[in-house]
Amino acid sequence: MKLFQNLFTKDSGLGIGAPVAGTLISIKEVNDPTFSEEILGRGVAIIPTGTQVCAPVDGTVSTIFPTGHAAALTSADGVEILIHVGLETVNLEGRHFTIHASEGQAVKKGELLLEADIEQIKAEGYDITTPIVICNSDEFSDIHGAGPGTVSLGDTILNLKK
Amino acid sequence: MKTFQFIIRDPVGIHARPAGLLVKRAAEFQSNITINGNGKSADAKKLLKLMGLGVRQGMEISCQVEGADEEAACQAMKKFFEDNL
Repeated sequence: MKLFQNLFTKDSGLGIGAPVAGTLISIKEVNDPTFSEEILGRGVAIIPTGTQVCAPVDGTVSTIFPTGHAAALTSADGVEILIHVGLETVNLEGRHFTIHASEGQAVKKGELLLEADIEQIKAEGYDITTPIVICNSDEFSDIHGAGPGTVSLGDTILNLKK
Repeated sequence: MKTFQFIIRDPVGIHARPAGLLVKRAAEFQSNITINGNGKSADAKKLLKLMGLGVRQGMEISCQVEGADEEAACQAMKKFFEDNL
């Protein structure tokens, strides 16, 4: 992954870090058409192994759902990023999620936003695949996802060009 | 300008999926479409703003539509809310 990171950081694009450790997959493989058909925007997805969901960029918390299953940030460069932890997890009504940030809060890349008890969420029968979507995709000429594989917190998973 | 009110029936309100679909539908029209609810207001073409309203079940929203195609846009928004929220 180091090689990819270096490639990404060399050009002038905007890099988005992994908000959670896990396995990166294509958004097309997500088992929910809202994401796989990119209704909310373009992006990638991570099957988490970690439980800490952190800021993927320096920016501001735009929205944290009271249920703790999703968070959205606006980066300092104006990229709007939605992190949706698991599929249909809105129905957990807050169970197994702990919120660590609040709306309007300025955050640094890597700062903790949410914690998700992945094992408990899985035990309740939910798919833990976590899409990371650029909500204002239309404002970028190119959005390029990193190749599939293992990612650590903060590894570049998406690169955007204005 | 056209407006209508709607009481949200969806148990989780305007969350990711309906918000995404709403943005897509709203983007088909030239008119400015504004959703007011929960003491806030949002451009219906901006996903994060819509989700940030925090509109939940039982809350009343008002939708304002203004522009050249406001008649059609208002109809489409009404139908969208009835079908999805």
